[in-house]
Amino acid sequence: MSSGMPPVPAKDDVKATWNYLEAGVEKIMTNLRGGMDMKTYMGLYTAIHNFCTAQKAVAGTSFSSHNRGGAHLLGEDLYQHLIDYLKSHLQGVQARSKDHVDEALLTFYIKEWNRYTTAGQYNNHLFRYLNRHWVKREMDEGKKNIYDIYTLHLVRWKEDMFVGTQENVMRSVLKLVEKQRNGETIEQSHIKSVVDSFVSLGLDESDSSKSTLDVYKEFFEKPFLEATGTYYENESKQFLAENSVVEYMKKAEARLQEEMERVPLYLLNEIMSPLMRCCESALITNHSQALREEFQILLDHDKQEDLGRMYKLLARIPEGLDPLRNRFETHVRKAGLAAVEKVAQECEAIEPKVYVEALLEVHTQYQDLVNRAFNGESEFVRSLDNACREFVNRNKICKSGSNKSPELLAKYTDTLLKKSTAKMTEEDDMEKLLTQIMTVFKYIEDKDVFQKFYSRMLAKRLVQTSSASDDAETSMISKLKEACGFEYTNKLQRMFQDMQISKDLNASYKEWCSSTMDTADLRAMVDSTYHILGTGFWPLNAPTTPFTPPQVIVKTYERFAMFYNNKHQGRKLSWLWQLCKGEMKANYCKVVGAKISPTFQVSTYQMAILLLFNDSDIVTYEEMVEGTKLGKETLDPSIGVFIKAKVLLAQPEGAKPEAGTTYKLNTGFKTKKTKVNLNIGIKSEQKQEVEDTHKTIEEDRKLLMQSAIVRIMKSRKKMKHQQLVSETIQQIKNRFMPRVPDIKKCIDILLEKEYLERLEGDELGYLA
Amino acid sequence: MASSSTNEPAKQIILLTTSDNADMRVEREVAERSILIKNLLEDLGGESGEAIPIPNVNEAVMKKVLEWCEQHRKDPPASQDDDSDSRKKSTDIDEWDQKFMQVDQEMLFEIILAANYLDIKALLDVGCKTVANMIKGKSPDEIRKTFNIQNDFTPEEEDQIRRENEWAEDR
Repeated sequence: MSSGMPPVPAKDDVKATWNYLEAGVEKIMTNLRGGMDMKTYMGLYTAIHNFCTAQKAVAGTSFSSHNRGGAHLLGEDLYQHLIDYLKSHLQGVQARSKDHVDEALLTFYIKEWNRYTTAGQYNNHLFRYLNRHWVKREMDEGKKNIYDIYTLHLVRWKEDMFVGTQENVMRSVLKLVEKQRNGETIEQSHIKSVVDSFVSLGLDESDSSKSTLDVYKEFFEKPFLEATGTYYENESKQFLAENSVVEYMKKAEARLQEEMERVPLYLLNEIMSPLMRCCESALITNHSQALREEFQILLDHDKQEDLGRMYKLLARIPEGLDPLRNRFETHVRKAGLAAVEKVAQECEAIEPKVYVEALLEVHTQYQDLVNRAFNGESEFVRSLDNACREFVNRNKICKSGSNKSPELLAKYTDTLLKKSTAKMTEEDDMEKLLTQIMTVFKYIEDKDVFQKFYSRMLAKRLVQTSSASDDAETSMISKLKEACGFEYTNKLQRMFQDMQISKDLNASYKEWCSSTMDTADLRAMVDSTYHILGTGFWPLNAPTTPFTPPQVIVKTYERFAMFYNNKHQGRKLSWLWQLCKGEMKANYCKVVGAKISPTFQVSTYQMAILLLFNDSDIVTYEEMVEGTKLGKETLDPSIGVFIKAKVLLAQPEGAKPEAGTTYKLNTGFKTKKTKVNLNIGIKSEQKQEVEDTHKTIEEDRKLLMQSAIVRIMKSRKKMKHQQLVSETIQQIKNRFMPRVPDIKKCIDILLEKEYLERLEGDELGYLA
Repeated sequence: MASSSTNEPAKQIILLTTSDNADMRVEREVAERSILIKNLLEDLGGESGEAIPIPNVNEAVMKKVLEWCEQHRKDPPASQDDDSDSRKKSTDIDEWDQKFMQVDQEMLFEIILAANYLDIKALLDVGCKTVANMIKGKSPDEIRKTFNIQNDFTPEEEDQIRRENEWAEDR
């Protein structure tokens, strides 16, 4: 053999074989760049092959080895020699590493690592015959500390090189990283190579073909995190001492971003979450107190951007946001209360619109903040909701009771849905306004109060046909249904249905009239329409005053009643005169500048009064009382409207409506309008209504509580008193907040009525 | 590591020198059925045109080995140490390989040794299976006859072994 290598040695001579191999391995280790020819390569491989096979044959002839579970493979001598060689080789490398520090050490370590592992790959191939047979057999038999040749290289490096140098290497790495954190440019690839090297050294003890991160975690990750923590603890402390919290938050945010970006540059992805936790602890947790103290100041000045930054920072640490939520809730509540206080000061009787808009403004402002700065996070939404519920239900306006808010909200809704204002509102805007109403509605605790007022006002809108649009009405009802369920809006929907049925009924009544009456009768008939309203669904009361309708009206409605009773037998019609109205033509005068006579729009009561003047131009107060049978509290204001409009003249002039006063039809009545509205609502009536509504609410609540209690007991049969009370609250609270004494009173009533019975202890039983 | 074969044309020809100094030309792809040659070419580059010495295989055997490699050039590379049970247990040999192995005993063993040396696992397997099939179903005496082995057991030893292995006897 040529090329500087001695000839392949005798196959059974260990010493000669190793000497031959050592020269080759040395060349691979130290002078691979010098090149290697094929003869040498094949020589080395063949020497190992020959050594292993030759002695096997010798061993195979001995009988004693047969019975020990198969052939005995040789190669251990070579393996041991290689170990010794690697040990002494690495001692030299480690000794030379002492000459270097800092970046030079890193350069040295990486260069040596690369050289050594490359040689390891070569040796692994050359020793493949050993790997395939002797090493494989040893490993199959479960021998510890036997590795394939490449892994053996790694194991030796770890033992003979890594252990002695890693501390210095890490110190250099950390210095480098600190330089970069201080803004200097560094050679990042050095660090990446060190990481890769440390990872390669993580060998799985039980399976050398797998690697673990143990070495990397202990010798790289741990010191790296420690250094990171220390660095940011110092930096943040110093920065906060010299700068404002707002500035600090920007700094912290930038630092966190920077560290996150550092990972893919030269670290292992594995480190991301521990690194982030480490930075968060140093940058946020350690200063969370300072951050939180700044929160109120930022809220007061509505610094959305800074609030958002604070949210993002504190959201990263466990329980970082809880104190913020509490403060936020308090803040919003205070803002809401202040807003209400402000509008409450401006006038005595507050406009519903002003009130609702004040509530909405606060809500909108902070909802916006939650969405923008707090990422719409559900916990903050809940804090906002809590705060809004507080200030919507308990504020200065509501001092007298929490039912003021629902009343005002219902009134505001009424004004929106009424013809006059709604005309101005585009459909989209209307939908937006209704949605806003629902926003406030959601917070209202006494939803039953809203329902009461709303249904009354809806009834009025429907009866007086003053509703602006059916679409808007339906939309509102479906919104309420969505929020509170079918039961809540059932009556409202039935009211709507009644109106539709009435429309059809009037049409068929007209047909019936024209088919059963002759033309003369038809001409003499009063033109009339009727609304048939189901007693159970409409929140309407019977008239408060006695009344004798004029003869002409009586004839008209009796004809209708006949028609209706034919159609629906056994139904009782009662007339709500206070809601009826009509038009009368004043043939005795003309509209100014026109040939036609004006039409008076009047209530039925007023109609009865005016009709008296068909028989005589002068009617006394007593005759009016006699003719209409109206109570004084209804008659007097009705007359008052005529006097004010100068339709009637009192004699003597300015006399109060009382016995002795006479009234004369003003034949010289002047108007420019073809229609004169004299059906003007009476103030006292409205006030009365509000009081009535509140009164019925109390009654309804008792019934609601009782029915809830009975429902619960029916399903549970037996229940402790305390439990029953809390269960009842649970069921009812989306309508209103029941008071415990009231529930107890209801339970007593039910005991009395023998729906319930007292059992032993404080248990209650259900009686069917 | 050095891996220069990627941008070489597939038909790269390499030179082998056998133990009896015969030069043989062979396509790289075929020769690389031998993991030894494959690793060598990868490690050293294999572009020098230098002949690869194969000091343990003579021309006759090498020819035979390369014939097998040619036939199996497109076989998927054996997955790493694929000692799956099915392959280990089965003594099935495909038709071509059976014919290929119809050689005298001396050549058969030479092929097995060469496959072991050159690290051609599939060929080694085929060779060993062929030998196994020659043993299968034969009595010890028949086996001795087949392979020309002298019985060096004493009758006592033989008796003892028979007793120890009684459980495996076919009954």
